[in-house]
Amino acid sequence: MLPLSLLKTAQSHPMLVELKNGETYNGHLVSCDSWMNINLRDVICTSKDGDRFWRMPECYIRGSTIKYLRIPDEVIDMVKEDAQAKSRNRAEMNKNRGGNAGQNQNQRGGRNGNRNNFGMRQGNQGQGQGNRPLAQGNKPRK
Amino acid sequence: MDDLNPLAGTAHLLEEVDKKLMVLLRDGRTLIGYLRSVDQFANLVLQRTIERIHVGNEYGDIPRGVFIIRGENVVLLGEIDREKEQKLPLKEISVDEILDAQRREQEQRQEKHRLVSKALKERGLAVNADIINEDFC
Repeated sequence: MLPLSLLKTAQSHPMLVELKNGETYNGHLVSCDSWMNINLRDVICTSKDGDRFWRMPECYIRGSTIKYLRIPDEVIDMVKEDAQAKSRNRAEMNKNRGGNAGQNQNQRGGRNGNRNNFGMRQGNQGQGQGNRPLAQGNKPRK
Repeated sequence: MDDLNPLAGTAHLLEEVDKKLMVLLRDGRTLIGYLRSVDQFANLVLQRTIERIHVGNEYGDIPRGVFIIRGENVVLLGEIDREKEQKLPLKEISVDEILDAQRREQEQRQEKHRLVSKALKERGLAVNADIINEDFC
């Protein structure tokens, strides 16, 4: 997860942006781009010495003026959940692909029944496959 | 080293990911946290970050959470040695105390600065040092 992707994930979350000149902007992230330009809403701007404040409904900050952004802890947790969900999906897809490979084996080779045993070991395949006539083995299976 | 590794011999930060790092910013601040991500600009993501303030041989830690640091503001970063961290020759004090100490140090510096500019002025050497110290640090 790149820093800018994390920033994108943080959309609609509250954050604190400190500029290079020391001013800070507190607000909710509306949008951002790959230059780190950002839109904030419900903003409170604080001067460098922290003794003057301005409130504004929205503001746009050019990325190049930013020193750092502080985002809530839970945004990183969201990323972790996303990553877990993605790897789960990938595992599912691989499993399905494995199943297909078994079928292909069936289609290609299939000269003798022994080969088909590989298909059975893949699990989640139909039962008693090895005994079926080849023509049936070629049918797409759910 | 490893010839197959395309990054061999190039400076990069990928090996520092998930390590506990100290990051020094251009404004002089010190952040310590776990590096979670980097990109080609050395933009950094730090998690469980603290800001450490040093005054003399005392220091104080302020918890700050998650940072996305824009790369151009980083001066240097380095791994924290867990073993050496246990035996720092420095004394940890509370946040309030360190902030107090920092404020006093700042005031002393300003006072010194004022005296220097006054002395320079008396000798006809007016230096506009405010710009140098304020805006570019």
